[in-house]
Amino acid sequence: MSHNIKILPGATVCEDCTLEGDITIGGGTVIHPRVTIIAEGGPIIIAEYCIIEEYSTIIHKKSDNQEVPPKPLFIGAHNVFEVGCRLESPCGHIGESNVFECRSFVGVDVKVGSGCVIGASCNLTAPQTLADNTVIWGSEHHIREALEKQPSQLLQLDFLSKVMPNYHRLRKPNVHKRPPSARQSQESSPRP
Amino acid sequence: MAYLTQPDYVKYVCSCGQLKPITSLYFCRHCLKIRCGFCICHEVDSHHCANCLENMPSSEARLKKNRCSSCFDCPSCFHTLSTRATMAAQRQAQDPAGGDAKVENKQTKKMYYLSCFNCRWTSRDVGIPDQSVASGGWPERTNPFLSRYNQLLDYYKAIAQQEKQEKLERERKKFAIRGKYITLTDKTGLTGAMARNIAGLPTSESGSSAAIASFTPSQASAEVDELPDDVYTKDVNLKQITSMSQRLASPEWQPSSVSRLHPLAKLLSIKRSQRCRVCDHNLTKPEYNPGSIKFKIELLAYYHVPEVKIISYETVKPGEKSALLLKLTNPTGHEMQIQLMQPEDLPPVEEREEPKSIEKSLEKSLNLEKDTSSYRAIERVAELGSSSRVTAPEATLTLAQRDDAAEYDDDAQQDTSDFILWRKSNKLALRLEVTTDAAATPGAPARAALALQYSYRNTVPPAPAAPQQAHHTLYTTLLLDLGVVSG
Ligand SMILES: [Zn+2]
Ligand SMILES: [Zn+2]
Ligand SMILES: [Zn+2]
Ligand SMILES: [Zn+2]
Repeated sequence: MSHNIKILPGATVCEDCTLEGDITIGGGTVIHPRVTIIAEGGPIIIAEYCIIEEYSTIIHKKSDNQEVPPKPLFIGAHNVFEVGCRLESPCGHIGESNVFECRSFVGVDVKVGSGCVIGASCNLTAPQTLADNTVIWGSEHHIREALEKQPSQLLQLDFLSKVMPNYHRLRKPNVHKRPPSARQSQESSPRP
Repeated sequence: MAYLTQPDYVKYVCSCGQLKPITSLYFCRHCLKIRCGFCICHEVDSHHCANCLENMPSSEARLKKNRCSSCFDCPSCFHTLSTRATMAAQRQAQDPAGGDAKVENKQTKKMYYLSCFNCRWTSRDVGIPDQSVASGGWPERTNPFLSRYNQLLDYYKAIAQQEKQEKLERERKKFAIRGKYITLTDKTGLTGAMARNIAGLPTSESGSSAAIASFTPSQASAEVDELPDDVYTKDVNLKQITSMSQRLASPEWQPSSVSRLHPLAKLLSIKRSQRCRVCDHNLTKPEYNPGSIKFKIELLAYYHVPEVKIISYETVKPGEKSALLLKLTNPTGHEMQIQLMQPEDLPPVEEREEPKSIEKSLEKSLNLEKDTSSYRAIERVAELGSSSRVTAPEATLTLAQRDDAAEYDDDAQQDTSDFILWRKSNKLALRLEVTTDAAATPGAPARAALALQYSYRNTVPPAPAAPQQAHHTLYTTLLLDLGVVSG
């Protein structure tokens, strides 16, 4: 698998995480240590101001009827992936301002809109589409609709991007302004 | 921990005949009997809010309808709501990409709203305006049936008053016949109502009878609103409709739409004390401070009755013998003599219907607030229904007192006896034999009943009148869960 990690300026990406495949990380996004992001079925694009916490896993799964060229998995801005959550999605798009709470699981064929909250330890496995501002919580997967989007975590992002460099080795941003075709992965040398 | 997470393998028989694990039993040091939550008196000691730990007397709690005035529960998921602060900016939307401190508005004001961390419900969802103070000030909704509610309340109060009056009258007559006590009203020939009149108290009868007379009972009506035309054709949006539990959580309004949900004032919690019904002594009494989880009195069976645990057992087969390893622990600070017995060999519980002193019964009957019928102690023999019997060795076992320091020596003394596996400070492991009835049906739960005779040293300072002996021989029966009878 080719490694093509693009980190935009302003992103805080810890060195101690597994990034595989074609991944673009937007500015202002914070990726904690021990995060796994695997783009095996196609590129993963993470927009700005996302928080991806420890032990969370985002996989763009390979599917049998793969399109050529593969469709990217686009994760919108201001998404929060809390500790230990898992997202396995081959279908294109995750909206913005969603919260994936601790140890939640979002399986394949789940389309997530914007402003959704997948509660702690909730498992979404059946094919479904979450409308905007859907909140799922509890062991019985109660569903309700929030009136407004979840408040953004700007203060938290600000704090994390200041504190993280003091305690963790970081991957340096390797893309300036517009993502060019230049492939300059830091540690993991790209294989031809 | 095992007691919290595992099923109850060993159950003790309470004096009322219930089977309970040792952790949910009490031990009355005055009756020397095991008691359980079913056969003791539960009394409310204090009311407090579990969230803000505010303490309040019961009269205040009743006035506040047993709800805290400053804490709220989520109307959507019933989790406690948290107060969150926001900076209310005047129009000027902050540029998220800028992160520039200069964009900050000068005219910000701290505003508070309620938010649920579990389901993310906020008071903004239902249009409750943000408050400028952190606690209190939340709009209260008035009960639409308030006047009817007050009417009913007055009516039932009047009825209660009347019944109380009648009961008092009856009691007075009963004791008048006995002739032992002369009440004031007997002596002076006054009736209760006249005495009340003289004393300037409200004439109970006339007041209550007026309230009863003017009361209009509710009328059932067959007329209901027509269903809307689109009731069968309109799509149901379940996200907009409240669940049954959400409606019942606020019985006054019973909102059918989620937009009508309103924060629920948090229900108060209570601290209970437990009292033995036979001797009226306290079995447990918590400390008054709501933040404390300690007890002033804590007579739990766990501290007084030998504890039996199953180490392991062989599969129980009908008509066969199997091995059973048990561990006995002496929780008391005194040496304990234990003998295993068959439940049917226990001395029968003596029926001693104590002739209660007339003073005491008078005192109880005058205490009209409490229904004395619930004070009766229940004594029953449990249906054990065990298909296996444990062969009890004849020997008396001696268990040393509990010694917390001995926990740190780990040399188990090997005993030469054929049924004692090991011995360690106040613990003892036994190898016993279980004989199962040949008629036991395979697949049925295998249970073995066992009785214990143990010596108990009472540390209650004896009452001056009745010299109590400190040493007692007590009995307890327990039921061991040995899985299922195998085929
Ligand atoms: Zn009982
Ligand atoms: Zn409170
Ligand atoms: Zn809630
Ligand atoms: Zn008692």
